[in-house]
Amino acid sequence: MPRFEIKGALSMQIELAGFPYLSAILVTCVAGLLVILLLPEERKAEIKWVSAGFSGTTLLLCLYLFFAYDKSKGGLQFVEKILWVPSLGIQYFNAVDGFSLPNLLLTGIVFFTGVLTMWQLEERVKEFFALYFLLVLGVFGLFVSMDLFFIFVWYDVSLFPMYLLIAVWGTTRKEYAAMKLTLYLLAGSALILPGMIYLYAKSGLHTFDITALMQPGTFTAAQQKFAFPLFYLGFGILAGVWPFHTWSPVGHAAAPHSVSMVHAGVLMKIGAFGVLRVAIFLCPEGWQYWSGVMAFLAAFGIIYGALAGLRQTDLKYVIGYSSVSHMGIVGLGLSTVSVEGLNGAVFQMFAHGIMTALLFSAVGYIYDRTHTKEIGELGGLSRVMPVASFYFILAALAGMGIPGLACFWGELVVFIAAFKVYPVRTVVALLALVVSALFMLRVVQRTFYGPLPEKHAQLNDVSFSLGIPRMILAGVLLLFGLFPALLFDVIETASIPFMNGLPR
Amino acid sequence: MIVPFGHVLMLAGMLFLLGVFCTVTRRNLIMIILGVEVMLNAAAIAFVGAALHWQSLEGQAFVLFIMAIAATEVSVGLALIVYAYRRSGSFDPSSYNLFR
Amino acid sequence: MIPFWAQDATHAMALLSTLMPLVAFLAIMLGTRSKEKLSAGLSIGAVAVSFGCSFLLLFRLWNLREPLEYSTRWVALNTVEIPFGFLLDPVSLLMLCIVTLICLLVQVYSLGYMAGDPGFSRYYAFMSLFAWAMTSLVLSPTLLQLFIFWELVGLSSYLLIGFWYEKFSATQAGKKAFVMTRAGDVSFLLGLILVLVYAGNLSIVEMNSPGFAGLMPSTMVTFAALLIFGGIVGKSAQFPLLTWLPDAMEGPTPVSALLHSATMVAAGVYLFARLFPFFTLSPAAMGIILFIGTVSMLLAATMAMVARDIKQVWAYSTISQLGFMIMGLAAGGYFAGVFHLTTHAGFKALLFLCSGVLIHTFHTNDLFELAKGGVRRLKIPMVALAVAAGALAGLPPFSGFFSKEAILAVLALSSNPIWLGAGFLGAFLTAYYAFRVIFILLFPPQTATESSDQLSGLPSAPKPSHHEGSSMTLIWPLIILASFTLLLGFLQGPLENFLVKEDKHVLLSHGVLGAWLPFIALFFALAGAGLAWVEFGRQGARQVGFAERVPFFRDLFSQRWYLDHFYRFFVDRVVDRGFSRLFAQNDNRVIDGSIDAMSRGTLETSRFLAFLQSGMIQYRLLASFAVMVLLSLYFFF
Repeated sequence: MPRFEIKGALSMQIELAGFPYLSAILVTCVAGLLVILLLPEERKAEIKWVSAGFSGTTLLLCLYLFFAYDKSKGGLQFVEKILWVPSLGIQYFNAVDGFSLPNLLLTGIVFFTGVLTMWQLEERVKEFFALYFLLVLGVFGLFVSMDLFFIFVWYDVSLFPMYLLIAVWGTTRKEYAAMKLTLYLLAGSALILPGMIYLYAKSGLHTFDITALMQPGTFTAAQQKFAFPLFYLGFGILAGVWPFHTWSPVGHAAAPHSVSMVHAGVLMKIGAFGVLRVAIFLCPEGWQYWSGVMAFLAAFGIIYGALAGLRQTDLKYVIGYSSVSHMGIVGLGLSTVSVEGLNGAVFQMFAHGIMTALLFSAVGYIYDRTHTKEIGELGGLSRVMPVASFYFILAALAGMGIPGLACFWGELVVFIAAFKVYPVRTVVALLALVVSALFMLRVVQRTFYGPLPEKHAQLNDVSFSLGIPRMILAGVLLLFGLFPALLFDVIETASIPFMNGLPR
Repeated sequence: MIVPFGHVLMLAGMLFLLGVFCTVTRRNLIMIILGVEVMLNAAAIAFVGAALHWQSLEGQAFVLFIMAIAATEVSVGLALIVYAYRRSGSFDPSSYNLFR
Repeated sequence: MIPFWAQDATHAMALLSTLMPLVAFLAIMLGTRSKEKLSAGLSIGAVAVSFGCSFLLLFRLWNLREPLEYSTRWVALNTVEIPFGFLLDPVSLLMLCIVTLICLLVQVYSLGYMAGDPGFSRYYAFMSLFAWAMTSLVLSPTLLQLFIFWELVGLSSYLLIGFWYEKFSATQAGKKAFVMTRAGDVSFLLGLILVLVYAGNLSIVEMNSPGFAGLMPSTMVTFAALLIFGGIVGKSAQFPLLTWLPDAMEGPTPVSALLHSATMVAAGVYLFARLFPFFTLSPAAMGIILFIGTVSMLLAATMAMVARDIKQVWAYSTISQLGFMIMGLAAGGYFAGVFHLTTHAGFKALLFLCSGVLIHTFHTNDLFELAKGGVRRLKIPMVALAVAAGALAGLPPFSGFFSKEAILAVLALSSNPIWLGAGFLGAFLTAYYAFRVIFILLFPPQTATESSDQLSGLPSAPKPSHHEGSSMTLIWPLIILASFTLLLGFLQGPLENFLVKEDKHVLLSHGVLGAWLPFIALFFALAGAGLAWVEFGRQGARQVGFAERVPFFRDLFSQRWYLDHFYRFFVDRVVDRGFSRLFAQNDNRVIDGSIDAMSRGTLETSRFLAFLQSGMIQYRLLASFAVMVLLSLYFFF
């Protein structure tokens, strides 16, 4: 692959391996944002088409990356590196590996389907999609960036629009939820920043480059043990680690549908991915030291989320708690310090993202028609909207871990890996499978089965065009459920070398 | 020197305290400005006394500056007060709370 | 990207027999949901093809010596490899034939039974899904693949039990079935992981090979065996997870027939038979399993004695017979257990399909209502029902007699006579409740019959709404299954040759009782039937069973030994109002409460500080003077 360096008058060092696809994704987001801003407010249809077009382009780019990634070679690919601030050693450094590719693909899918889910939005369309693009820009940036400083910047870029998106377009207790979410996530970034500066100062390498900082021997064991919890909690708050999870059900419930999709589907993955990319990559010894605590929090979160979700009466709260439970599985996988655990965790990130996006997308349709999320006021919807119900039930089944749908594999592999290391904690977590079946089926039963309330008798089923985003998500869920090797093969290109490179 | 330097400083100090008292306690902007003037004059007296004591002209030069500043201050200040009075109908500074 | 590719004709047939129902399922879901006839045709055609293939396979591989295994890479992780494939050996071939045969008959039967239902196509789609999951489960070469289809079997039975989703009780029953079997599945998954951790491999052939004992310490084998048995307890509705099965009657009757004979519940016993050599590695586990089988067998038999709902009786009898199979297997009778599984599949499907005809005609499930309605006029169903009940009771020459006798023979070999005694007691109770149903149906109290004849048209006496005898699609499966029930018993010898290639002489000796055993068993069965005759059949019988006369037993049995109360209590009080409420409150009060308190504290503090920022210029002046004074004091003194 051609590698060239340009030393120009600005003394910028540029290193590229082929066409900068990763920057192209970011640029597409920015371009979409600008075009939306330039369009006049009243042209709502055009704004939606433009959004769909640009988000579709990013999806295509992600798909191309996913399939063009050379699995036999592995490692970091599509590298683009520009020395941005030489005095501080900050680089604009983008690359993908087996850990970030699934997440990138997930973001692309959820982004595109999220735009389509909001197709019937009528209120402040322009601002909504502009903020939405900004949000996703931050997410994409975080997944592709390999520079600690930029990871932090992208993290905050993705946080800022959330507040407005929830507070303006949200529903249940929206101001409260928006403020709560923002405060929690800012608390997270307040933990990440000192950790970052600490590592930067201690390394003495004068760089934020993760590939340089992760070399064994850069940090002493004591430094790693100190810095790991900072990153783990900082990013973990975003990943819904128990007991810092309460923002997530509230936030999910209040956010508009597509924001919930991005929020639960992708933003929580940012947290888990941050734990992986920053905490685990930079502090592997701290990881091994703290892994028992991580496993405990994760296992407890799994059962806790499932049980607490059992009593919720709001559809979106239920999904929010199921997210807490499922993200616990990711955490459990990460805590095992093994190849299988990492495989399962990353797979689960992807699968949970798709599944929860489908759930929110389906709930979005139902809420738009019935104007309620209260389970008690719904019922019998299978009769009037069989297709919309089908999507929800499919996603709920995936959430229960039915084989043939993607989530099963993530859970299975994580549990296999975790059982070897933490048998008791795994048994506790496994009990949650029963509870989650109970609460998912309870929701399905009360919402879609039984007699239909009078006032909902005239509702229409989801039309073909409105069903497209759900179709895509359901298809992806099935595809990776039937052929999990598609994803596992990619993840293994990263997890095996990473674990082999760990000091024993 | 007929009057001892200490007495001059004492006078200046008392005058300054009177000015401070006036500025801080009065609720009328004009009186506040008067208080500021009194404080300026107290400083001027101290400067004149010091110039006499050390037989140096810089002190008297400073007093000229002070008088010039006091004059501009009063003119600009009074203009502002008149404007503020027209806007709010009051000399009370606590009623100017548009920024709160 | 297609990892399935036929290697030879046998493989192609195995592929066809498992995948055809999946194809039908997908086709119905994606395309033909609105065309009912086409959907049903697709589904039945698919299952007919897989039935044909499975029988061809059976004949082709009749003399199979070594198990035949085909597998392709599906998922390969660093240390976990999950192939996808087929394992063809006698027990899986036999089971495959049973499953496809029963599926085919039930689907044909459903043509008549489900006609006019708004969810007709959906019904056939789920039936195909069920058939696919079950056939794939039967042929799975690894425990993990088996687990995957095991879960799918659970899913499809959930969908079918709750098929009439507007009925609350149906959805409730579906949920209960799924959650209770899920509890067993979690145990199964744990056992599976345990085996995987020690053996590194989940191949069924390897688990069954004699060398496996060296891979795992014996306590771990016991653990793993018991955990895997936990899955069987859930799926086959054994004690203590048995209460979902009677509730599962809420589904359409053909579904019950399928569920109770060859698919859902049979999967559990099949797994036991499948891993039989593995289970025999641990005598301790086998002892516990034998105990659980016995308890379930007797408990369910007592419940069946007092049930008034015809389907409930058969449901309890299913649990009881499954317990019987597990007893046989756990006592070491591999062939006996599998043989009883085979015969039971036939006669239990027959029982349900006959009851389906009765229910379909008279629109009631209640035994006495059915009798009042005059079910005795339905000749063919009643004869078939009697044949099936005879088989269930273990009367010669029906198939049940032979298989039951085989199991009792195995029990007679065990050192402790208590198991044999329990077996005889079970045989007695089974004959009693089976013939109780028959006699109630055949001999309604005289007054009731007359009044219903005279006052025809009154709503209290249900009248047949369909033509007598119903349509041929309902009747033909009955005739086929009835002849099957009559003939299967005489195939014991060939089947034994097929299933057990060596050591068959061990099973033929009958322990202490010797050749008398069949006669003793027959005596108990006849005694049960005779007691039923005395209480229900003869002229002027009060039609109240001996168990019903004692209120304590009546309540105990009809309340299912209060197991359901326990589960309700557990789920409602402990899980729902205990943990769930605790955690939800913890979220709201403790975590959110403290966070909100922190935010409120911050707000209050800032409000207090904002009071200082009054905007009065004079305060600021005062403050600055004070600071100046203090500073000067500090500097000068």
